[in-house]
Amino acid sequence: MVEFKTVVKKYSNGTVALNNVSFNIKKGDFTFLVGPSGSGKSTILKLILKEEEPTEGSVFVNGYDLSVLKRKEIPCFRRSLGVVFQDFRLLPNKTVYENVEFAMQITEALPKEIRRQVPMALALVGLSRKANAYPNQLSGGEQQRVAIARALVNNPSLIIADEPTGNLDPETSWEIMKLIQEVNMRGTTVIVATHEKSIVDKMQKHVIAIERGEIIRDQEKGQYENEVKDSKICC
Amino acid sequence: MKLRTAKFVVKEGFVNTYRNVLMSLASMGIVAASLVILGFFWIITVNIKYNTQFLKDQPEMQIFCNPEMDGHQLGMLEWTIGRDKRIKEYEKVDKKQAFEKAKEMLGDDKDVLEGLDESFMPVSFIIKLNNSADYGEVVEKYKNYPGVDSVRYSKKAIDYINRILRGLQIGSSLLIAILVVIAVFIIANTIKLTVFARRKEISIMKYIGATDWFIRLPFIVEGIIIGLIGAFVSFLALFIIYKLGGGWVQNDFIMVKLVGMKDVAFQLIMVSCLLGSLVGASGSIISIRKYLRV
Ligand SMILES: Nc1ncnc2c1ncn2[C@@H]1O[C@H](COP(=O)(O)OP(=O)(O)OP(=O)(O)O)[C@@H](O)[C@H]1O
Ligand SMILES: [Mg+2]
Repeated sequence: MVEFKTVVKKYSNGTVALNNVSFNIKKGDFTFLVGPSGSGKSTILKLILKEEEPTEGSVFVNGYDLSVLKRKEIPCFRRSLGVVFQDFRLLPNKTVYENVEFAMQITEALPKEIRRQVPMALALVGLSRKANAYPNQLSGGEQQRVAIARALVNNPSLIIADEPTGNLDPETSWEIMKLIQEVNMRGTTVIVATHEKSIVDKMQKHVIAIERGEIIRDQEKGQYENEVKDSKICC
Repeated sequence: MKLRTAKFVVKEGFVNTYRNVLMSLASMGIVAASLVILGFFWIITVNIKYNTQFLKDQPEMQIFCNPEMDGHQLGMLEWTIGRDKRIKEYEKVDKKQAFEKAKEMLGDDKDVLEGLDESFMPVSFIIKLNNSADYGEVVEKYKNYPGVDSVRYSKKAIDYINRILRGLQIGSSLLIAILVVIAVFIIANTIKLTVFARRKEISIMKYIGATDWFIRLPFIVEGIIIGLIGAFVSFLALFIIYKLGGGWVQNDFIMVKLVGMKDVAFQLIMVSCLLGSLVGASGSIISIRKYLRV
């Protein structure tokens, strides 16, 4: 589903964000991308979205070889993904319903389809009652649910979330994570970049740990840190 | 593009214009002002052309014969003129007509002609050329023709007016070009502000897979709305200026006859709208270019 082959990413200012990174995420996987701040998590996600180009190596997503994807084909490619960000990134002048609807409008979906899919997505994230509210009238957790509904509504095969719980309190974070897990159980591949050790440890999913641009661990049913190391550092 | 997408895009354009109502109004004002200046020059050009038309209708050239010229020579001259390929048409002014004309021109002073008859008046030919560039050759040929006294031509006056008209045209084209550039620049800046305010929205749209055109079109619609409303306002302003100013001009300068507003209105509004929407659209395209690279 997502494959990195010896990827090097060097930003134009000389920062080497990723150094020889290779991994493979299978269809239907739930993968955590963990690591300290500045380790390169967001860079990996940007490469998956083709927002940035790798300096070396190649990236494959959903069967596309991103290095041969033309600029004109990017919108189409991105519609096969769903994206969720730490800061929600909802359109402030649109209601909850319109925000989700918008993701379908850009695909030129049939109005009939839109009227069917949008309420379904909102129901899935438990926000049917707030359909006519504006983003600034919602709590952070609710806004993130809207973002998840928007990411889901086009039935993407892959959902990418960059610190989706970064702005939320622990309880709400759990709810959002459970929601993402539910989405995953419906068959969507999920990649979540996060700092939240407690969540990663509890959920026992595929974990890719990264540090200073290099993969230090890639483990099925893993934890945030190695248990041995964990017990040493923990106080 | 599908119809529902077009609808969506147009609706977004209107909503955005309304949302930035102050900036939109400012841009509309600037477009309107530019178009008023532009239209003003255009109307002046049209009127000058209209008022100098009669000069072009005047005889380009008149060949005066000696009053003593005999009938045979006259016949030869007329025959030559009639066969000259450079001459489009000619009109013979005989002694009697010339006498009448002289009397007419003298008006109240016509008693100077008391006791005289038409015999001292010259016969003349009013000539129109096919191509005014030939006038030098033609003048040269007939000036020395036996029995011809002189050849007069109003070529200089025509040249002069043509030169003024051309100057005015070049001047107004230049002015139009400058005004258009200024208007595009100002609209581009207005829309740049709205684009800047909405750059986050644009990047969100790009993330969820909107195409460049899908993002661009509402802004272009916004530019066109601004341009069209500006054009309409400028048209109204010009209409009023022309109505009020026109009466004043015609009272004080009896010579000047103005082109009716009805005759220019259609052209004016078409040109204004075309320019307005072009200016608006190009302003948008310029300002959004940078933000599409995500
Ligand atoms: N556009 C950029 N230009 C230059 N350097 C960049 C750019 N984006 C990121 N970097 C650098 O690349 C490295 C990796 O950044 P990245 O955003 O991937 O980290 P991260 O793991 O997501 O961190 P965080 O957990 O704080 O979000 C950092 O050193 C960062 O300063
Ligand atoms: Mg990050």
